[in-house]
Amino acid sequence: MIELKQITKQYAGQTVPAVKQLSLSIPKGEICVLVGPSGCGKSTILRMMNRMIEPTSGTVTINGEDVTSTDSDQLRMGIGYVIQQIGLLPHRTIAENIAIVPRLYKWPKEKIAKRVDELIVMMGLDLEKTRGKYPCELSGGQMQRVGVARAMAVDPPIMLMDEPFGAVDPIARTHLQDQLLRLQKEIKKTIVFVTHDINEAIKMGDKIAILNAGKLVQFGTPEEILTNPINSFVENFIGHDRVVKKLNLYRVDEAMQPVGCLVRETELQTASQNMKQAGTEVAFVINEKGKAIGHFTLEEFEAYKGDVERVRKKALRREKAFVQTTASLPDALSVLLEFDSDYLGILKGDELCGMLTFKDIRTHVYRKEGW
Amino acid sequence: MTWENFRVALFEKAPQALFEHSLIVVVTITIAILISVPLGVLLTRPKFNRFGLVILNILNVLQAIPGLAMIALALPILGLGIKPAVLALLFQSLLPIVRNTMAGLVGVSPDVKEAARGMGMSPRRLLLEVEIPLAMPIILSGIRTATVYVVSIGTLAALIGAGGLGNLIIGGLALFRPEYLLVGAGLGAFMAIVLERGLCYLEYKITPPGMRV
Repeated sequence: MIELKQITKQYAGQTVPAVKQLSLSIPKGEICVLVGPSGCGKSTILRMMNRMIEPTSGTVTINGEDVTSTDSDQLRMGIGYVIQQIGLLPHRTIAENIAIVPRLYKWPKEKIAKRVDELIVMMGLDLEKTRGKYPCELSGGQMQRVGVARAMAVDPPIMLMDEPFGAVDPIARTHLQDQLLRLQKEIKKTIVFVTHDINEAIKMGDKIAILNAGKLVQFGTPEEILTNPINSFVENFIGHDRVVKKLNLYRVDEAMQPVGCLVRETELQTASQNMKQAGTEVAFVINEKGKAIGHFTLEEFEAYKGDVERVRKKALRREKAFVQTTASLPDALSVLLEFDSDYLGILKGDELCGMLTFKDIRTHVYRKEGW
Repeated sequence: MTWENFRVALFEKAPQALFEHSLIVVVTITIAILISVPLGVLLTRPKFNRFGLVILNILNVLQAIPGLAMIALALPILGLGIKPAVLALLFQSLLPIVRNTMAGLVGVSPDVKEAARGMGMSPRRLLLEVEIPLAMPIILSGIRTATVYVVSIGTLAALIGAGGLGNLIIGGLALFRPEYLLVGAGLGAFMAIVLERGLCYLEYKITPPGMRV
């Protein structure tokens, strides 16, 4: 656990302190995101944790131990550090770059080589191709992967990441974020993550600390912050699409309802009776292999006056109106809006396991908002 | 011009002169490196960087003094021979190396230094493993400049009895023997070019493959 107590940082020659009387405790094994506008002091706070910057007053403790009690180099060797500019040594190969901290710990050569290979593979890079390359031969996204691998080399319990994915293109960023989240499930490090992007904060954070002008404005889980922004600053910082952003926190399977009615492709004539019996407005069509291929509503069925072929065509036009149970609500919403329908089929693998309507999304968010 | 004079100059006088000249150059440049590189390093450390401007200005002044004047000034203090010549040439060769050492170190990307420090490298390790290797091409290019300079100004050392290729040139002028002049000046030029090219190659070799342009 990292604990900041009454931290103040006053830079020489500046009238306003960069960080004012800030206290924060970061729980073990979680990702805590420090987020705020430029100049809010988030990087300064991060850098005080590994003593790249010394606070003017206040204490930083890690697992109850004051960071100033150890030699600053020793302290930093034990904390992973990733920065936006990455800072790979341009005159060293990728393998040598990853080996920097293990070498500082004087690990034996074989152990270092083994660990380096392990990390290159773990970061999803091509082992043989990457190991001997120089940083300038990699793309931005690959370089940042190496940056993360380097920070994890000696498996430090704490990682400090200062806008780590800020300089890579949006696609690579999404990949890196997903990869880090996947890794975190296994490695369970205490990660302090600085960003100015609220969406990244919501995605990455177990906890989010919103900062402004050197002060902590709100600290809580993404859900807490999106549900109850403490003041207008937080509300503005999150943006007017607060509730839409909140959809990101939920998965389709939390909001879905059971499928109303299933009909075989060959038995469409009896569909309306089946639907009425089941008391539902919608029927999903399955083919002879049992795979869901579309849906139609009772209203449409009746409008076509039982013309089975037209009903089938209508249903087939919604062949892609399905999402997986693991999809996020915004993705589901997007698919819903794409098709001229109020319904969306939910698949688990290939199997139809539920359906989702606009109303389901609304009631789910409404319930979570707690009004 | 006679072939005989040419032969004497090239095969009897030149080897000795060339040896003396090389000695002056090697000794001067070695001492210059031993002083300038640490000085350049020191002047870029936070503790001492306020002296940087003063020292660079002093070296600039030393550099501005014409080589001949410098050699003449060294004479009354250290007398005749190789010692005053080396001292005079030394003053003139410090500036390019100190300046390039500083420029090279200052030019190391702050991001790289930040990352290295953030991983727990001590200032000493940072200097030896990161800053100096990255600044090396620029430091070497300073050494190259200084070397070429010392080879050419070194011909003046003959005036205070230090010998070298200058002996052939001055002798040639005094005796009206253009053969001596040609051999002295030609070998001087040749030596400067060879050293220049050689150091250039070294510069290329020590530039890490990842940083070559």
